[in-house]
Amino acid sequence: MSGTDRPVSEEDLHAHVDNLLPAEREPIVLRYLRENPAEAERIADYRTQREMLRAALASRTGGALPAHLNPHVLIARRQGERRMLWRAAAMVVLAFGLGGGGGWFLRETVAPPPTAISGLVRDAVANHVVYTADRRRPTELGADQRDDLARWVSNRINYKIAPPDLSDSGYRYIGGRLAATPEGPAGMFMYQNEAGVRLTVFVRPGSSAPNAPIVPVDGKPMGGCAWIEKGVGFTVVAPIPAAELRHVATEVQRLLDSRV
Amino acid sequence: MSAPGDVERIEQCIPALRRYAWTLFRHRDDADDLVHDCLVRALDKLHTRRDDADVRAWLFTIMHNLFVSQHRRRRSRPVTEPLDDDHEVAASLRPTQEDGLLWRDMLRGLDRLPEEQRSVVLLISVEDLSYAETAAVLGVPIGTVMSRLARGRERLREYTDSDARPALRRVK
Repeated sequence: MSGTDRPVSEEDLHAHVDNLLPAEREPIVLRYLRENPAEAERIADYRTQREMLRAALASRTGGALPAHLNPHVLIARRQGERRMLWRAAAMVVLAFGLGGGGGWFLRETVAPPPTAISGLVRDAVANHVVYTADRRRPTELGADQRDDLARWVSNRINYKIAPPDLSDSGYRYIGGRLAATPEGPAGMFMYQNEAGVRLTVFVRPGSSAPNAPIVPVDGKPMGGCAWIEKGVGFTVVAPIPAAELRHVATEVQRLLDSRV
Repeated sequence: MSAPGDVERIEQCIPALRRYAWTLFRHRDDADDLVHDCLVRALDKLHTRRDDADVRAWLFTIMHNLFVSQHRRRRSRPVTEPLDDDHEVAASLRPTQEDGLLWRDMLRGLDRLPEEQRSVVLLISVEDLSYAETAAVLGVPIGTVMSRLARGRERLREYTDSDARPALRRVK
């Protein structure tokens, strides 16, 4: 049967309510509704019902994503478990004396020595994961104490810095803190977009490499974009696609470069 | 390891999964437990996923199966319990009072539906799944989906239309 000569069915009416009706059936259903006021009222009620359900449930999406529902964290956790297995396997090899050399080889593949950039990203991501997951107190000083934070962080890391304004990229500054790394203190600025995704900008002086352009680093559980200028390392971290992250990193670099 | 695009697409579906799970349990922690189990299962099975299948429908299928196999018995809360269990969300909601009452009535009506009708109404009306996708998620023929949808909507209409619902009468 073709799309235009079939009588109007209950399925057609629901498809009309759900905007799933094929275009060629639409005029037939509309004519049917014009000719049957009781049916028109029933279908209008279904439409209202649909809109109200959507409205009533629109806000029930749970807000900011907790860490245990972040797929990047879940993947990292699983990879961590797998790494533990490898480590255990390596220990077994060593314990049975089947070759110290083999053991060392395994160790190297398990934990490669961090370069300046990857170390930077590792520390930035570690702090990002810990602090952004905190819904109540993600920062030490909030957005209203921006200047205090800039002074405090600048003093502690001995490098003059203030949180850049990323509102053009869709990220609102929500505060910052001093972060700890194996190489000493670092400054951390936190931002949030409209969808509740949190992004951090991480600043740490004293890098072993003097300069490095922006590079994306596949960190765990999420990636970061890092660069080094005159020994000061910068990292931008967020659970967002790499291209978008790089765009924000470029913006941060531009803003920080233009402040002098 | 999976393509990074898959993980991003999964991530984009999480708000919808959390909402659907919330309607199943009316309790944020229980809902998020189900979403967590669903994500762990999905990430495990990611390499077996067919490229042509929609990620959303695929995730809802996993969640529905988990709900059926493990969680159905956990819905111990009486369905007439007040709905504002997660205050943080409720506080951010700020509907007009009239809207709030209408929504509350609508959710109460939803609670009175048999679970099989409620799932169909929600997946189609709120989560925008097609009839075929809904049939696949629930593992039933498409004809069954259509009849559950029709019965569910009519029942909800009768409930919200009755004299017992002054909040709704007022707008008539």
